[in-house]
Amino acid sequence: MASVKLTDVKKVYDNKVTAVHDFNLEIKDKEFVVFVGPSGCGKSTTLRMIAGLEDISGGTLEIDGEVVNDLQPKDRDIAMVFQNYALYPHMTVYDNIAFSLRLKKVPEDEVYDRVTNAAKILGITEYLTRKPRALSGGQRQRVAIGRAMVRNAKVFLMDEPLSNLDAKLRNQMRAEIILLRQKLDTTFIYVTHDQTEAMTLGDRIVIMKDGFIEQVGTPQEVFDTPVNLFVAGFIGSPQMNFLKANLVKGGSSYYVELLDVKLPLNDEQNAVLAQKGVGSQEIILGVRPEHTTVLFDNAEGAIECTIDVNEMMGSELHLHLRSKNDDKIIVRLPTVDLSKEQRASLSYGNKMYITFPAKVMHLFDPETEKSLIDG
Amino acid sequence: MSEATAKRHMGLKTSRAITNTAIHVLLIVISIIWLIPFVCIVLQSFRMESTGQVGYVVPKVWGTGNYVKLFETDFPRWYTNTFIAALATAVLQTIIVLCMSYTLSRFRFKMRQPLMRFMLILGMFPGMLTMIILYRVLKDLGLTQTNAVPGLILVYVASSGMGYYVSKGFFDTIPMSLDEAARVDGATRAKILYKIILPLSKPIVIYTVLTAFMGPWGDYVFARYIAFGTSAGKNVAVGLYDWLNKDQISSYYTMFCAGGVLVALPVTILFLFLQKYYVEGVTGGAVKG
Repeated sequence: MASVKLTDVKKVYDNKVTAVHDFNLEIKDKEFVVFVGPSGCGKSTTLRMIAGLEDISGGTLEIDGEVVNDLQPKDRDIAMVFQNYALYPHMTVYDNIAFSLRLKKVPEDEVYDRVTNAAKILGITEYLTRKPRALSGGQRQRVAIGRAMVRNAKVFLMDEPLSNLDAKLRNQMRAEIILLRQKLDTTFIYVTHDQTEAMTLGDRIVIMKDGFIEQVGTPQEVFDTPVNLFVAGFIGSPQMNFLKANLVKGGSSYYVELLDVKLPLNDEQNAVLAQKGVGSQEIILGVRPEHTTVLFDNAEGAIECTIDVNEMMGSELHLHLRSKNDDKIIVRLPTVDLSKEQRASLSYGNKMYITFPAKVMHLFDPETEKSLIDG
Repeated sequence: MSEATAKRHMGLKTSRAITNTAIHVLLIVISIIWLIPFVCIVLQSFRMESTGQVGYVVPKVWGTGNYVKLFETDFPRWYTNTFIAALATAVLQTIIVLCMSYTLSRFRFKMRQPLMRFMLILGMFPGMLTMIILYRVLKDLGLTQTNAVPGLILVYVASSGMGYYVSKGFFDTIPMSLDEAARVDGATRAKILYKIILPLSKPIVIYTVLTAFMGPWGDYVFARYIAFGTSAGKNVAVGLYDWLNKDQISSYYTMFCAGGVLVALPVTILFLFLQKYYVEGVTGGAVKG
């Protein structure tokens, strides 16, 4: 259990490529922080620097108030779970889990207690005498977690631990990690490229791109108030719709002009824009698929679209629409309230109308890609 | 199955049987040709009626006298010399080669690539080129003639780090994340090599030991040069070969054969037990690396 503090941490490789730029983050004791981003964004590199598997090129890394930049991994008191499990193939499950304890010369009685206890929590007691190759992917992942668990380390690092599992097992293990976290009650740093994992697991999410932190916040914060186009597009599935529009200042209030439709903003948004001194300008309007109101008949302030694709997801439909401007828009429509006639009308080429209330609209500057309201 | 298909299947079966038989006949013939010299030597070593070369293979009088007489000559000394040299080389060379391979496989340091290339080029020169200078060095150190064994060990082990190719290739196939997991678990580099990498590389360790043992065991050129005619410094290859010169061949030929059998024995036993690993070692590094 410990806090982790990164100050201006940097990674520059020998070939002068900078993988991580001035990374600043303070992780509180017992916090669960998720680094998320597309591949090559520097999230794994950052984690490996915390683990001590990569040298830190600049800045300081503190664990529990102590600068650990130049400490070997074994002296940092961290535990790590690897993407490919990294189990020792020639040892039994028991020996795999006991390996670190034996290196520390923990008495064999205590090793036994700690290994069997971890195995019990993870439900792998019956596999303790097997070799890793006789286990399934999910079981191997449990062993890898068990190996990290028995250490009672200050910080628990996980590098894409679920990405080698199939979808069903991944969901199951995700839930188990949440449970495990409650049992272990320690500091977690978790790396993933999957935004669903990030949203469901993290107390806070660190969204990274090209070695920079784009946004840090709780899952709710990054979902509700993304500070730039990248975060807005990365968090949420299906991803946010982006439409070219105009922000028009009319007196003391603003409205968004999309095609021929005027969409008014709410008081809060007006106040922020006025305070920032934003004038009329082109913008990128972001609206999440689940925040779009679908109308079957034309109405005031509605945008006319044609249906391209109708994907049936069970409890909801994903409609791929096309506006008169050829903008593509995806909307999520719950099926439970739809009548038979309405369902029948949702086929290729038919007209639909969509609208959105002010509070779900995200306004971005096309030049800077930053949000005009949040951040 | 229709009749036509059945016929086709039959045809396939017969042609496969014919090919198999042909291959086996060929293999049997080749192995007979290959085994003839060995069989001859074994048979000659039991010949008791005469000691020189004769025009027939199967002895008229059988006996183990040649083996017994071997122990009245310097042969035990030569055998011990060879065994000590081979064993010491096997141990030292294996340690050096495995450490070298692990270093080149896992550490990234400046001049790593140039070093590997340099050793590759250096390894292309025949070792014989160094013979004269090596002899001078060893003579100055007092490691020739009666002290030939330590001198030979020095020569055999000195350049062994250059033989890292096969084992480095094998180590490269072991995922780096195993090392990383062990480092996080608290292991030092030496412990990782000893507890993780080596147990996973059994074939390559055995391959390294065997090749390191075989070199000195069968060496003739260096051993002869360094022993320089001193009987106490000879190894088996040199000692036995000297029995084949004109003055001695008529009285020592059958003993030479007996000595040959005794030299071949430990190596044959080693290979019989370890051939599985040996083949894995040779192909493992190549295919995966």
